Amino acid sequence: MSADSRPTGKPRPIGEPRRIAALRPTQAGRRRADRLVRGVCLLAGALAVLPLVMVIAFLLVEGLRAWSPAFLVTPPAGLTSPGGGALHAILGTVEMVGLALLIATPLGLAVALYVVEYRAGRLAIVVRTAVDLVAGIPSIVIGLFIYALVVLTMGHFSGLAGALALALIMLPIIARTSEEMLKIVPRRLREGTMALAMPRWRAIASVYLPTVAAGITTGIVLAVSRAVGETAPLIFTALGSNFVQPDLGQPMSALPLYMFQNALNIGFPAARERAWAAGLTLVAIVLAFNLLGRWLSSRVAVGGTRQ
Amino acid sequence: MQPGAVQPGAVQPPAAEPAAFLKRQTLQIGDSILSWSVRLLSLLALAAVVLMLVETAVRASPLFGAQSPLDLIFGLNWDPSTLAYGGLPFIYGTLVTSSLALLFAVPLALGAALLINEYLPRRVGVPLGHAIELLAAVPSVVYGFWGVVVLVPLLVPAQQAIAGSPLGALPPFSGPTYGPSYLAAGLILAIMILPIVTAVSRDAMAATPRLQREAALALGATEWETVRHVVLPFARGGIFAGIILALSRAIGETIAVLFVIGNQPQVNASILAPGYTLPSVIASEFAEANQPFHTEALIALGVVLFVMSFAVNIAARRVVSRFEARSGGADVR
Repeated sequence: MSADSRPTGKPRPIGEPRRIAALRPTQAGRRRADRLVRGVCLLAGALAVLPLVMVIAFLLVEGLRAWSPAFLVTPPAGLTSPGGGALHAILGTVEMVGLALLIATPLGLAVALYVVEYRAGRLAIVVRTAVDLVAGIPSIVIGLFIYALVVLTMGHFSGLAGALALALIMLPIIARTSEEMLKIVPRRLREGTMALAMPRWRAIASVYLPTVAAGITTGIVLAVSRAVGETAPLIFTALGSNFVQPDLGQPMSALPLYMFQNALNIGFPAARERAWAAGLTLVAIVLAFNLLGRWLSSRVAVGGTRQ
Repeated sequence: MQPGAVQPGAVQPPAAEPAAFLKRQTLQIGDSILSWSVRLLSLLALAAVVLMLVETAVRASPLFGAQSPLDLIFGLNWDPSTLAYGGLPFIYGTLVTSSLALLFAVPLALGAALLINEYLPRRVGVPLGHAIELLAAVPSVVYGFWGVVVLVPLLVPAQQAIAGSPLGALPPFSGPTYGPSYLAAGLILAIMILPIVTAVSRDAMAATPRLQREAALALGATEWETVRHVVLPFARGGIFAGIILALSRAIGETIAVLFVIGNQPQVNASILAPGYTLPSVIASEFAEANQPFHTEALIALGVVLFVMSFAVNIAARRVVSRFEARSGGADVR
């Protein structure tokens, strides 16, 4: 919008605003710039969507070719031999994510309550910072931590160690969402509980938590969606296993781990097929949880707990 | 109090008080139970975090009886069979691949965010935005497998063309090329962080006050001028926060990179050459680590990675708080 490009010499008619006279000669250039940027954005958008579409397309095409309902309930075969399903991996994922959920939910809620409701000075800030810190740690490092702390101490890999690693990944997500939710409990509700002389635990248990339950559930569901897809923290905690075994004390497989191990052996057509099938199953589960979380959170926004 | 219940003059024990006192006490017990269990659980979480950090450092420490910590960071030679544990190839690879990822992803993500927020009709833009966000949830092992099956074969001719062209005379683009490379890892990472940068930038741009936007348009600004002078300055903090969040993801990404980087512990100037990153070497060598100090060296590399991502997170927090202070509270989490 430079005024220097204004042509000189032509006298300005009296009464015509100077500004418009200044803009007119650059009008074409400005419009061209606008169109150029629009074109560039369209191109960028197309380029951004292209790889994403390709990932999904390949997953659907190759995955559906290799996938059948039987894949979900068939025990594994050898790594190089054909056939074999993901029963052990699905069992492992359900058990480990389930246990992780049981560990992370009370801890995450406790941290949120401690920070928001029982603001006990500096210690609360330390706890919160530590949990935030965990959120920033790469998941492979979380796996290493659990390896050093649990696997080396127990002397062997186990589903328990895997569950602990997943719990650590879920903890900050749950703590953070619950904290945000507790913060938006409407002031009027808080004042109401005070006016009724409710003790704090009663207010928390029967007013605050029920009010923001949907929001907290959203956090938990998103945390599950994240934990289900994690491979890196399981490699040296749960390790993987080629047997259908429900014992959390022993090495255990999980869907992402199963896909990873098959994907490393793409030289074998059978392993390659199993990797696609496991990938499709995994993405379906993760996206289902993710959509569920989003749906819940949209209900929160509409339901009015979010002022 | 009911009328006639109290006879004037009689000394009456305060009938209501003991009951109320009792009740209040039980209520307080409930409160202290919850308060203490919340505190205990929180401290448990804190203790777990501290214990992990300490335990990891302890497990890595035997390495430093055999070699200096400086060698781990600046040493070029990684060869467990001769007990040489130099980590520079991995640090270099991590920095190169994440820089490439930002280089590719940020312009595309900004363009896509602008397209969705400013140019497309809501009917098209909003579902497109949701679809892109959903892709941030796809597990990294899926991207990695897709990378090795689809992306790398596509890249091979392109890389050969680059290395064969006059550009190939420059060190960053010189051959020979194999397929798996820093470039391939950078591209996969770019695809993975694209949804993050797009989503965060969109949120930041959408938070621009409507009045400011309309004021610019009313002054005769074109759409681009509105974006350039109103939307982008307002959303700058959020966009930076998104970029740093994406950087921290890229630095820590393990599985996807492992599939496409070629796993060669070397420092190579050419982005078309294979390399290694910190997370991917930890993941791929850990299971087979049988040389003395090999496991310790990998754990120590994990500590280096932890410090790197910690630094990025601190930087992110500072950027966010600085912009929050300036822009008056755009939601830039």
